[in-house]
Formats: sequence, structure tokens, C-alpha cells
Amino acid sequence: MSDPSGEMRELAKKLLENGEVDRIIGWEKGNLWYQSPPLFITRAEETDRLVFDDFAINSLVTYLLDERDSGKKTGIFVKGCDSRGLVRILQDKQIARESVYVIGLPCSGKKDPRQALSSGASESSQVPPAAKCEECLYPNPVIYDVIIGEAVEAKAKGDRFAAVKEIEAKTADEKYAYWTSQYSKCLRCLACRNVCPACNCRECAFDISKPRILAKENNLSHNMVYHLTRAFHAAGRCVECGECERVCPMGIPIMQLNKKIIKEINDLFGPYEAGVKLDETPPPLGTYQTSDPEEFM
Amino acid sequence: MQGIAKQDLNKVLETLSGGGAALLVPMEIDGVTRFARWEQGAKTALGAGNTLLPPKEALFPQNEKVFNYEMSNEEAKIVPSAAAAEETIILGIRPCDVRAIQALDNVFLTKDYVDELYKTRRRHTLLIALGCTQPAPTCFCSSVGGDPLQAEGADIMLWDLGETYGLEALSDKGKDLLKKIDKFMSKSRGKKPAAGKFSLEVDSRGIAEKLHNMFEDPIWDRWYQKCLGCGICTFICPTCHCFDMQEKHTGQWDGYRYRCWDSCMFQEYSLMAGGHNPRPTKKERLRNRFLHKLCFFQERYGMLLCTGCGRCVRECPVGMDITKFIKEVSEVSLNE
Repeated sequence: MSDPSGEMRELAKKLLENGEVDRIIGWEKGNLWYQSPPLFITRAEETDRLVFDDFAINSLVTYLLDERDSGKKTGIFVKGCDSRGLVRILQDKQIARESVYVIGLPCSGKKDPRQALSSGASESSQVPPAAKCEECLYPNPVIYDVIIGEAVEAKAKGDRFAAVKEIEAKTADEKYAYWTSQYSKCLRCLACRNVCPACNCRECAFDISKPRILAKENNLSHNMVYHLTRAFHAAGRCVECGECERVCPMGIPIMQLNKKIIKEINDLFGPYEAGVKLDETPPPLGTYQTSDPEEFM
Repeated sequence: MQGIAKQDLNKVLETLSGGGAALLVPMEIDGVTRFARWEQGAKTALGAGNTLLPPKEALFPQNEKVFNYEMSNEEAKIVPSAAAAEETIILGIRPCDVRAIQALDNVFLTKDYVDELYKTRRRHTLLIALGCTQPAPTCFCSSVGGDPLQAEGADIMLWDLGETYGLEALSDKGKDLLKKIDKFMSKSRGKKPAAGKFSLEVDSRGIAEKLHNMFEDPIWDRWYQKCLGCGICTFICPTCHCFDMQEKHTGQWDGYRYRCWDSCMFQEYSLMAGGHNPRPTKKERLRNRFLHKLCFFQERYGMLLCTGCGRCVRECPVGMDITKFIKEVSEVSLNE
């Protein structure tokens, strides 16, 4: 893949100079060679900092929620997975389509800074592809105003639900032992929620203190309430960007449960892919039909 | 220098944990490196660099009961909790984390307020530090006043000398403990090793004085936006010590009060009873965290609240890098 940063900088510069956008969100090079963290710029002369290298792994779309009431227009770079998160936020009417100028970047997979560090690599070529990218089905942006670079082929091969089937094959006791050992580790830092494009509520139940819905005491019971509630809340809305699992410092396999729910939704209402088409009907669990065979509906 | 052969390590650990002391060593548990209780057969992660979770939970647990309460016949009864006075040895703690415990000591044991729960644990804790010969790519202790090879405040100092661990007692408690493992000690040929090169370096001299006048500086506008507002940096930080007080009602008329880790990065942290929030956005919250680390704590206790362990640099999912921040602060001209 050729380096699109030249074109990115040129376009960002033009958008800021023309006053077409108030700010640009992209990536820049960090202090360390394996970091390309998010970058916010408002001045044309800063656009030279923009990069799109192997470590531009962060999805930037949830940052749009921070400015959802500001009336500002944002130019934002999106990879395939990020673009599905953007569709999600637009479908939930958290921001207006006119408030974003979307610059699409086809993506052949990124690398995870933590993996770069733990693998002891000294350059990018020695770092394996990020786990979340290995299962990518949508490497090309599904929504954009302009696209930079050539479309790339999806590289996901093998069974999308292999990790789910692994769990399904366990007995109930084994499943319980597995998930409780995972959820016991949770620090409740809330990073998975904060990075999630499906978690776009203005006020999250877990932040409410009067009445307190989730106690602050860290224990398995409360941690499970947090994780299971979030998984069910994101059901039918998870776009499989994998950011939740990437940001988790404790290595909790959050996507394994999300994928189980995706599989169930596909079996029951599918096939369905969240965040792929902007003008589609609401997701399966976000709508109802009077002819639904379930009586309680 | 005195030393113990690495092949005797298990026997040494067994001896140290004998007599009922809780021996906490770095271990990998369910994929997470942390300090956990060593038992015969457990595999240590002594050589794996800094643990993901710092040892602070041994002195300042994530949840801790403060008192039980009970009401009956119009009478309220409060029973304060006492911390378990179990002898604890933290072995393999790195010099940055020892300095972090000195910071916690300042908070919980000085300036007119002594926290009894912390004090009890601390008094029963002995620190056996392991010097760092090769700093990790995210380490920067030498930039914030630390020494990777020497842990002032530890009771015993260990150095990896290849085939052996060299050791030296730094306190009377340490000397007494060494007597217990006397039979494993021999004269080691090695000498205290030299420290490897740091890849992350920054000049933090004068940072507190500079930041003191930067509360309204535009630097905060450049820095807060990418913050996710999660609590990773505060929870994995060896020095972050903010907590909340909560109650758990276990029945209609009884229950307990506990304290639990809190994070200044959460919006609820500074939310006041009437609904006002003096730190309404991520900007004010990030500013508070950095000022606490690099300015307020220095002014109050004479040390930075950052020991250069590098955990936040390593784990922040948006690459928030405190060394880069320190560098940018040093480049700000306040006379503009």
C-alpha cells in the first residue's frame, strides 16, 4: 500500500483553509515508533503532522460525540471498521451527516502498539497484524465524501465465529469458570465503553449515582453486570471494530461475547450486518413488528 | 557482594513464606502480570520487567471495608474495620514502585492525618526490591528523579547478576530477614551492575514551578481532546491513590461502608451533590491529573507523583505520553 499521507495532508490543508471544516481528526506519529495516536488540528499549518502508517489503529469516530452539540464541522479520517462505527453514530442520530466531512482510507490491516512492545520488535515489519484486523470483513470505508487510495480485498478467512464455537463447545460449568476468570480481572476503567461507537448514550447508566445503578465496589458480581449489560445493549449495534478488546488493559476477550450475540442475531433475524448501510431500517433489536410471533411483543 | 544462586530461588521463596508471611511476587495470572501470593510450585515473573498492575493493591486495595453498621431499637452501632496485620513481603518490586510507595506513605501517613488501615498494612510490609539493568522502552524513572538500580526505602535490594542474585540489606528489618536465608547466601563474584540506556528521556527539572503558572495555558486545549476519559492510567498507576466512599446495605438495617479506587478522569469524580461539576469536561480533568502528578504533589510533599514506571505510556489506548507533555511544557514560553 502506498503512503497516502501526502494526499491526506493536502486535502486536510485545503479543507481548513477553505473553511469547509472547523477541525480535522487524524493520526500523528507519537514519541515511540509504534505509536500513531489520534491528532486534532484546527490550523492549516499543522496538517503536516498527519500520518497513516501501520499503527494508525485507533478508531476516531467516537470523538465526534464530544462535540455533538457544538455545531462545529469535523473532517474525519475513517478506515473500513471506523466507517461502520460512524454509520452507527449517524443512525442513532447522535450527529448530523452534514456535521462531518468523511475522508475514507482503504486499509489492509493495522498493528497494535501493545503487541509491538510485548513482541520485543524493533521495527514495524516484525510486529504481527493486530488481532482485530485478522477478522476484518470491511477493509474499505462504507461511507465517505472522498476516498484516498485504492480499494483493498477483505483478508478475513476461515470461520468468523471460530472463537464463539470454541466457547459453545464447553459445558455450562466450564463456560462459567472461563467467563468468571475473565470478568474477575476487570478494573472497571470503562475504556471499552468509552471507545465504543455503539455506546453513544449521553448519560450512561453506569455513571448515574442517584440512584446508583452499578455499585462502585469492584467484584465479580458487579463486573459481570457491567459486561453483560453492555454486551446486550450493544446487541445488533456492535460493528465489530474490535476497539473494546484492543483498549482493554486486562486482556478480557470482550469481542468473543459480542460475536456470540452477532451470531445469534444472524441466526434469528439475519443475515444482518450492523453499520454497513446508512439508510437501512433500524437494527433487529431496535424495531418491532406487530406480526411478531412472540406474544409479549 | 553477598548473593544467592538462581537455582536456589524456590527454596529461598519457600523459606521467606514460611512462618505464615504473605510473600507477594510478580506472577502472570490469566494473562496479567501482577503481584500475587507465592505458593510452592508457582511460577514467578521476576524477569519480565515491570508488572502491568503495580503492587499498590497490597497496601491500598481496590475495595476496602471501613466499618460495619447495624441499627436496632433506635440505636446505631458502628464497628470500625481493622486491616489484617499479616506480615507481608513484597519481593521483586522495582525501584520506581518503591518510590511510589514513598509517595503513598506521604499521603496516608503524614501532614496531620494518619490512615490507620494503610498504616497497619504498611507497618507489616517488607520490601525486597529488584534493580533494573535494562529499562523497558517505556521506562523513564531517571528522568523524574529515580534510579533504576537503587531503591531508597526498600529493606533489601536485589540485582540480577546472571547466575545469581546479588543482595544487600538497606534496613534493620532487611538485615533480620537476610538471617533467615543465611544458608543460601554465598559470596557472589558479581558486582552491582550498570544500568542500560533509557530510550525515553525528558528533562523534568523545574516542571512544578513552571506548571504553577500554567493553569490557563492553551497547552491544555491541545492535550485533552484525544483523552478517552477512561480510568486506565489512574488504575494502573503506582501512585494514584484517589478513592471514593460508598455504602453497601446488606440488609434493611445493616451493611458496611467501603472505600474503593476512584479515578479523576471520570466525570462523576468531581460531580457535586447539587449537580454542579467544577471539572465539566475532559480538559479540566486531564489538567487536574497532570497538575496533581507534576505540580501540586511536588508543592505539598517535595516529590513528583510520577516515578517514571511507564505504565500509562504503555497502556494508554490513545498514546497519551506524559514525557511528551513534560517536554512540551518545558518548551512553553510564559512571557509571550
